[in-house]
Amino acid sequence: MTTKKKRSAHTSNDSWVVIAADSALDKTKLDDGDPTFIRLRNPATGAASQYLFSRGDVRLYEVKAFVEDFHSWFIDQTVQRDGRLLYVTPMDPLFLLLPYLQSGAVEGKFQPLQQIVMDEDYPGCTRMLKCTQALDTLQHVADEKVVGSQKFHRYSQEKTMDWLKKKVLNTVSALKKSDISVGGGVKSTTYVRVKQETDVTEEDYLRYAHGLISEYISEDLSKDLHKHLQLPEISSPKEVEPPSKKRKLSDKPVEAGEDYTKFNSADFARKPPKKMTAAQKTLAKVDKTGMKSMSSFFSPKVKQEIK
Amino acid sequence: MDLRDFEADNSVSCRLSSPVPDVCRTEDCCLGIDEAGRGPVLGPMVYGICFCPVSRKENLKNLKVADSKTLSEAERENLFLKLDKAKGFVGWALQILSPNTISTSMLQRVKYNLNALSHDAAIGLVQYALDCGVQLKEVFVDTVGPAEKYEEKLSQRFPGVKVTVRPKADSLFPIVSAASICAKVARDHAVKDWKFTEDLGRVDTDYGSGYPNDPKTKSWLLKYLDPVFGYPQFVRFSWSTAQTLLDSKAVPVHWDDDEEDGEKAAARQNNTSVLSYFSRSKPAGNTHTRETHRFFTERRLQSIDTL
Amino acid sequence: MAMNSCVTVVQLGSGTQVHQSEVHLLPCDIEHDGAAQVAEFFTPTVKERKHEKTVSFRGRGLKGQEVTHPQGYTGLVLKEVQKPSSDQEDRVVKVSSVFHNFTYWNLETPPTSDDRVMMSMAWPKLAEMMRAPVED
Repeated sequence: MTTKKKRSAHTSNDSWVVIAADSALDKTKLDDGDPTFIRLRNPATGAASQYLFSRGDVRLYEVKAFVEDFHSWFIDQTVQRDGRLLYVTPMDPLFLLLPYLQSGAVEGKFQPLQQIVMDEDYPGCTRMLKCTQALDTLQHVADEKVVGSQKFHRYSQEKTMDWLKKKVLNTVSALKKSDISVGGGVKSTTYVRVKQETDVTEEDYLRYAHGLISEYISEDLSKDLHKHLQLPEISSPKEVEPPSKKRKLSDKPVEAGEDYTKFNSADFARKPPKKMTAAQKTLAKVDKTGMKSMSSFFSPKVKQEIK
Repeated sequence: MDLRDFEADNSVSCRLSSPVPDVCRTEDCCLGIDEAGRGPVLGPMVYGICFCPVSRKENLKNLKVADSKTLSEAERENLFLKLDKAKGFVGWALQILSPNTISTSMLQRVKYNLNALSHDAAIGLVQYALDCGVQLKEVFVDTVGPAEKYEEKLSQRFPGVKVTVRPKADSLFPIVSAASICAKVARDHAVKDWKFTEDLGRVDTDYGSGYPNDPKTKSWLLKYLDPVFGYPQFVRFSWSTAQTLLDSKAVPVHWDDDEEDGEKAAARQNNTSVLSYFSRSKPAGNTHTRETHRFFTERRLQSIDTL
Repeated sequence: MAMNSCVTVVQLGSGTQVHQSEVHLLPCDIEHDGAAQVAEFFTPTVKERKHEKTVSFRGRGLKGQEVTHPQGYTGLVLKEVQKPSSDQEDRVVKVSSVFHNFTYWNLETPPTSDDRVMMSMAWPKLAEMMRAPVED
């Protein structure tokens, strides 16, 4: 190619390509009000994320964007420069309520929900008070007291852990039905798919599902859930490098999240936990020869620590 | 000349040929190769071969074939008819390289330059003659590039055939002149009756010679420039004339293998994701960012804070 | 970040039939938002040979594949009705058209299930399962 102009930055949008659950934009009753995209506090990151309320705020959806560089759309007789594809998928509103319930729990008091779900940075969060799915399932994460006509709630860590565990198990069964690769068979950008492993363990599924659910809860809850699931603790905080650094060091495009840690299994084999869970026993028996190649995915620093 | 096979899909390369005279399968033959339409920014490039028994060279000379460039279009048509009448001992074959083939090859990720394209077309045609049973002993080739290297390449590729590559071969050897006439006639027809696949209504066919310095060609290129698509497939996008016009008059388009953007693309390959500048984890306040689960990173899915 | 600009209302038409769009995802960044002669330049030049779609754009060869949305999902093109005059106003968008599939184009290589966008189509089904309420 000859001289090319520098890429100009893309500014704001006035059109979007979306794939949405049919239920999200289905207006059954006229008085439901229009669906609304709204910015709420992401329960995992604490930062702002886009969600969508529909059917008069009764249903909650999350918005995820497929973002890959160098894409644009043709839509009939137009070009849309922004090549993102937005997904609007249903989401369990309890995930969004949890941080509020948890922060209310500090005083250990029962409180009316209206007092718990308040956020001056995200005033839209009060819409969740109309979200029937959230209200109907609150008992999964909170104790409840009824005084007269008013309901009072108090966060329960125990209930929450059980609820999250069920979520993880639901996700495990969803994963098993899917062809999503949960084991070491990480896809690479060179499009070499590691042969679908026949030896994917129950623990692989658990870890993967735990990782997915962790996208919806705080880091602390994620760690608590990890324990609650009796997943072997194998990564020390020291090994967790900033993502940018890790990426620079590894030449292979693995976005391991915490899943790669299972390949640090030498670490926990050295000091086995007192009681082995069934999953751990299975893991101990797993033929690790095929995992050797995975070492190339680790940064040199991590490798040293394994030795 | 019947170009219907090419016109059926003028976005790809197409071979046209005369029947092979029986005598060419039994007697030692000579074969000439020439091209037409290498320089123009419009239309196909045509490679032509013509062959006849060595013993009939004089008969061919008597047809008064000469370098096609020294002839008028009418004279070329006339000579082509004469060659057609001599089909008892003269055969021909053509490889029409569509302008779209030229563009997409030259602009390919792994560049396929015009010389390589030409050589491959020539080699393909000689092989075609051999496959048809033509008893090839001598091959004469006109060239614009360095003759020795090309001659060596062809000699190696076709052992047992004496290859002569010569600049101006089309005025030195009647069999090359004959090939040049076939090629030029096909190119003339293809350009004159170009069937635009695009839905452009009535297209002004006054595009001149197609050479970039022809004012008619220039004004045609300006008239038919589309700000998004650039040109119809009739134009060779890989020509600097076309590129320069597009750079100044069309909207910029960037590919992941562009040189200016190449650094980013390379970074992406190494997974130091370019997307980090879109990243969901813009540090909001002092929330420390967690790594996104690989289910999402592998799918380039991310939460967004604004639509 | 202006707090009130965080609400975007999707105006749903009152029962009127929404237009179905023809949609293509291109493997390049086109610095343009607006009109384009897609039906004149692009669509007629798409060739289908043996399950493979080919076309060229700006002289570069593309290979394409039809992508169908997950069941229960519809493609929507949302358009801003009008830019809010201040940060205090909600943004309003409308469903300008729908689409039930689109063509994904790759530069020179045929699309496969390993292409990210194809992989991303697995998300809605998983999301549904993760959302499903747990049993007591």
